[in-house]
Amino acid sequence: MERGGSVMEVGARSDTGRVRENNEDSFRLAPELDLFVLSDGMGGLESGERASRLATEITVTHCRDAQADAALAVFGKQIEGVSDVCNRLASAIRLANQEIYQAAQASDGKSGKGMGATIVAVRFLEDRACIAHVGDSRAYLFRDEQLSQLTEDHSFVAEQVRRGIITLEQAGRSRMQNVLTRALGVEQNVDVEVTEELLREGDTYLLCSDGLFRELSEPQIAGILQEATGAQEAADSLVEQANHAGGGDNITAIVLRYAPKAAGALSKIGRWFKASEDAS
Amino acid sequence: MSKLVLKFETAILKEVAVGQQEVSIGRSPDNGIVIDNPAISSYHARVFHEDGRLMLQDFGSLNGTFVNGQRVKMVTLKPGDSVGIGKHTIVVTDSVEVRATKLDDATVKLAVPKINETVMLDTKDRREFLRQVAAVGESAQPAPGRMKLPTLVVLKGSTDRSEYTLTDKLTVVGKSAMATVKLKGWFKPKAAAQINRRDDDSYYIGPADKVPSVNGTPITHPTKLASGDVIEVAGVELQFVVRD
Repeated sequence: MERGGSVMEVGARSDTGRVRENNEDSFRLAPELDLFVLSDGMGGLESGERASRLATEITVTHCRDAQADAALAVFGKQIEGVSDVCNRLASAIRLANQEIYQAAQASDGKSGKGMGATIVAVRFLEDRACIAHVGDSRAYLFRDEQLSQLTEDHSFVAEQVRRGIITLEQAGRSRMQNVLTRALGVEQNVDVEVTEELLREGDTYLLCSDGLFRELSEPQIAGILQEATGAQEAADSLVEQANHAGGGDNITAIVLRYAPKAAGALSKIGRWFKASEDAS
Repeated sequence: MSKLVLKFETAILKEVAVGQQEVSIGRSPDNGIVIDNPAISSYHARVFHEDGRLMLQDFGSLNGTFVNGQRVKMVTLKPGDSVGIGKHTIVVTDSVEVRATKLDDATVKLAVPKINETVMLDTKDRREFLRQVAAVGESAQPAPGRMKLPTLVVLKGSTDRSEYTLTDKLTVVGKSAMATVKLKGWFKPKAAAQINRRDDDSYYIGPADKVPSVNGTPITHPTKLASGDVIEVAGVELQFVVRD
C-alpha cells in the first residue's frame, strides 16, 4: 500500500526581515499532533510578539488537551460540513482569540492598543488536511507542480476583490493592503474559517505570513518549492529569497512535505509520522 | 462609452457598460443588472442607445424608476444622472476611471496605516464595511429557490450505504476511517477519489490514490460535476444527482 510508506517532513524558518526591528511572527510545530501553527502579531513592540505567541501556544495547547481528553468542550459553535478535527482546531483558535482579547484589554492604555494577531493552522489526520485561519496569513498547497492558495485573506482588499468591487490588479496597487477585516484579539468572538483538503503522497503544504507572499510571486514560490530537495531547505530558501526581494516585513514559512520515506532522511528536523500501515 | 454603476448606499456593487446591446434591470437573473430585492420587478427597466442618445425606460414597474428623484417612464440619460430603483442607485457615467476614484473616496475616511504596518479596521469602519459587504451579498446571492440536495447514488460495487447526500467540504471515496463513501474489500485504496464542495456550492471531483473516470473520461484534474454524471473508481460506480 503506497500511502503506508510516507512521512510528513517538516521545515520551518522565521526571520525579522530587513526593515523591521523585531519579529512579531511566531510558529509552533507539534508533529506529535500532526499540527502546525503560524501567527503574525500586530500592535507593535511587545504586544505584537505577545499576541502571536499566545495565538500559537494556546492553539497547540488546546488541541493537545483535547487529544488527552476527548470530552474537552468545543469552544464556540460547531461548523457543519467539516470533520471534528477541523472543529477542534476552530475551537482552539477561538480560545486563543479570547486570551489575546483579554490580554489586550488588561494591558493599560497604549501598550495593548491595536494588539492582535493573524493565524493559520493545519492539522493532518488520516486522509486529509484540516486548515483554519483568521486574517491574512496563508496556506498554500503545491501539488503536481501547481501552487494553489487554500485560504482567502480576511483583508479589506481581498474581500473587495471577492465581491467584485475591485480587480486583483487594483488590489495589488491598493494602499489598503495592510488593513484586516478579521484578526484575533480585537473582539470577544471571532469567526474562524476552516477548510479541508485531501492529503496525497507528494503534496507540499506551505504556511506563511504576509511578509513572504508580498515579496515573492506565486511562480517564484512554486519554483523554490519545486527545486528544494528537502522541507527545511525549502523554508530556508523561501525566507532568504523574500529577504533578497526586500524583506519589508517579518517573514515566516512552514513547509510540510508528505513524501516517501527516502526523502525524509534528508530533512534536518524531519520526523517520521503517519507511517500508517495498511492491511493491503 | 456610457457606464452604469450600481450602488447600494456608498458601496459600488457592479459596473456595466452600455454598448449596442441594451441593458435590462430587474430581479430576474437573466437581466444585465440583477437586483435581487423584493422591491424590484422581475423586469423593471432598461437602458439603451437610440439615435446616439442614452435612454431609460421603465417597464411599468410596481415601485417605479426615479431619475434624480423624479419618477420617470422614458427619459434621456446624461452622465451624472442618478437612477433610483428601490434602495439601489444606478449612476450614469462616461468615465472609465470611476471605479478607482470611487474606491479611494470610500476608503479615504479609514486611517491609512504606515507602509507595511498591519492594522485592523476599527470597529466603526469595520461595521460600515461589513454592512456594505452584506449589501453586495444581497444582490450577489441567487434568488432563494428550492433546496438542492447533491447525492451520490451507488450503481455498482460494495459500499457501506446505497446513497450518500453530500454536505461536506471534502468527501473521500475510499477505505479511510474518515471516508464518506466507505469502500469494502481488501485491496481498496484509503482514498480512491475526492469530491470538493466549493464556495458557490458546486462540486468538483479529483484524483487521489486512483484516477477516477466521469462518464468514461479519466479525471486527472479537478472537474466540475453535473447532475447525472457517472463516476467510476476502484471498482464502484456512483451517479452524481442533484435533487430539488
